[in-house]
Amino acid sequence: MTSLKTSLHAWHTGHGARMGLFGGYDMPLWYASAKDEHLAVLNHAGIFDTSHMAVVLVEGPGALDLLQFCFTNDLTACLGPRKASLRPGRAVYGAFLDAQGHVVDDAIVFMLAADAFMVVVNAGMGPAVAAHLVQHGGAYAARVTDLSGQVGKMDVQGPMAARMLYDVLAEPETVFDAMPYFSFKGGFTDAIPSWGAVVTRQGVPLLLSRTGYTGEFGFELFAGPEQIVALWEAIVAAGASLGAVPCGLAARDSLRAGAGLPLSHQDIGAWPFCRHPWPFALPYRPGTQEFSKPFLGDTALQTCQGPYTYPFIGRDLRKVTLPAEVLDASGRSIGDVLTCVTDMAVGRHEGRVFSIRSPDRPKDFRGGGLCCGFVRVADPLPLDAPLALKDKRRRIDVRIVKDIRPDRTARQPIHTLLQPKEE
Amino acid sequence: MKELSEVNLPEDVRYTKDHEWARPKGEAFQIGITDFAQDQLGDIVFVELPETGDRFESGDEFGTVESVKAVSELFMPMGGEVVAINEALEDSPELVNTAPYTDGWMLEIKVGDPAAYDQLMDRAAYLDMLKGLEE
Repeated sequence: MTSLKTSLHAWHTGHGARMGLFGGYDMPLWYASAKDEHLAVLNHAGIFDTSHMAVVLVEGPGALDLLQFCFTNDLTACLGPRKASLRPGRAVYGAFLDAQGHVVDDAIVFMLAADAFMVVVNAGMGPAVAAHLVQHGGAYAARVTDLSGQVGKMDVQGPMAARMLYDVLAEPETVFDAMPYFSFKGGFTDAIPSWGAVVTRQGVPLLLSRTGYTGEFGFELFAGPEQIVALWEAIVAAGASLGAVPCGLAARDSLRAGAGLPLSHQDIGAWPFCRHPWPFALPYRPGTQEFSKPFLGDTALQTCQGPYTYPFIGRDLRKVTLPAEVLDASGRSIGDVLTCVTDMAVGRHEGRVFSIRSPDRPKDFRGGGLCCGFVRVADPLPLDAPLALKDKRRRIDVRIVKDIRPDRTARQPIHTLLQPKEE
Repeated sequence: MKELSEVNLPEDVRYTKDHEWARPKGEAFQIGITDFAQDQLGDIVFVELPETGDRFESGDEFGTVESVKAVSELFMPMGGEVVAINEALEDSPELVNTAPYTDGWMLEIKVGDPAAYDQLMDRAAYLDMLKGLEE
């Protein structure tokens, strides 16, 4: 089987990346060091090729209704604590489910206009998600277009991301003004109404989004695939003096796990999308267990009895290798391990978990790394429940936690990160 | 990732198919993993080693090396008794990446049958095996 390649494939191999297959694409796993790349995203910034991800357009007078039926989040009630309606220039996370409530894929829906949405899904999932929307959206006056392979994408993640883009964008002050978390500006084709609002100094139009999948401050950049290599090189150059480095998928995986974010088809998949640590992806009416809208799979979720998914943290950085089972305090097998990685940016001090960027971290705190991830178990577990994870080789002690890497920067306002830092 | 021509393969050690090396040191043998193995694994963040006095047969798993993403087994090139472990790896596991044949050594073992060393691959044979893996 031949693997797919992004526009940056030759750049990666030319820069010594260790490559591996992900979602059908031959992608960089790391360049010099997955550990250094992970730490760079917390301390400086990381630059990720994410062109393997797929874009699906949903357009037409029935586009909103189609997504309201197929997407788990309520697009008319999802923004902020007051649950305002999604509006052009804003994006929201959720999932597409089948009638059994099982996950087809997770996605971010970007509202381009009242009748136009850009849906960003995982590598190789464009055709499947487009087919799913067509299959279940027949009643709605909407057009579904799979743009797989036709959109270039890269992510710039970390506290230096805004300073790097400041050097690359034509009018950075205007672009960064009023750009909160999960908002976007610009477009990568003139079919997008906000096209032209974000342009590089080299004249390349972008869709720039305050999103990412590392838990840290940063952006996702969408551009024409033919523009991505020049854009990548400009951003790598802008970041070189700020400690920013290109990062592979290994760092992306350990960063997202530490941020408590699921990997589709691993932490969420062919089982009901409920009883998990991502309630923000479901349309709960504030303070209730009721959904604010009907959607495909909702009945299955309302009657769902599990399994239950929880984040965990280990005692030290030692991991188990999948497949691995979850044992309760009495040694009984109660479930399986979905993700188990090491977040090298965290560590324990006097019983508390700090990140190397925690404002109140102890002096000279160096992290050291902790094993973390997600377990799936048959019955509910309390916070702090002691468990053991067991693979064919070892058994490690872990505890159920609410969150993994503390003091993440994803929501930090842009202006606070544009000034040169104290260090 | 290193090209095969960039992989450091010293002449003064012998190699195994599991990418460990052994080198005579006085009456004992020093054991570690090859430059090829450390390059494949990426950043090593933890090395789990046995205790001195532990005994293993040739081919037994004696410990693990752990990268950010994966855990891999370590196998004994020859049977014998562990007489020393590299305690520096506890605080500095990255020595396995930066100096796999020197500061990144893992064990010293006393071997029952020193002739077993001659059964291991020399540089040329190991390089041939690596070339085979690339194809």
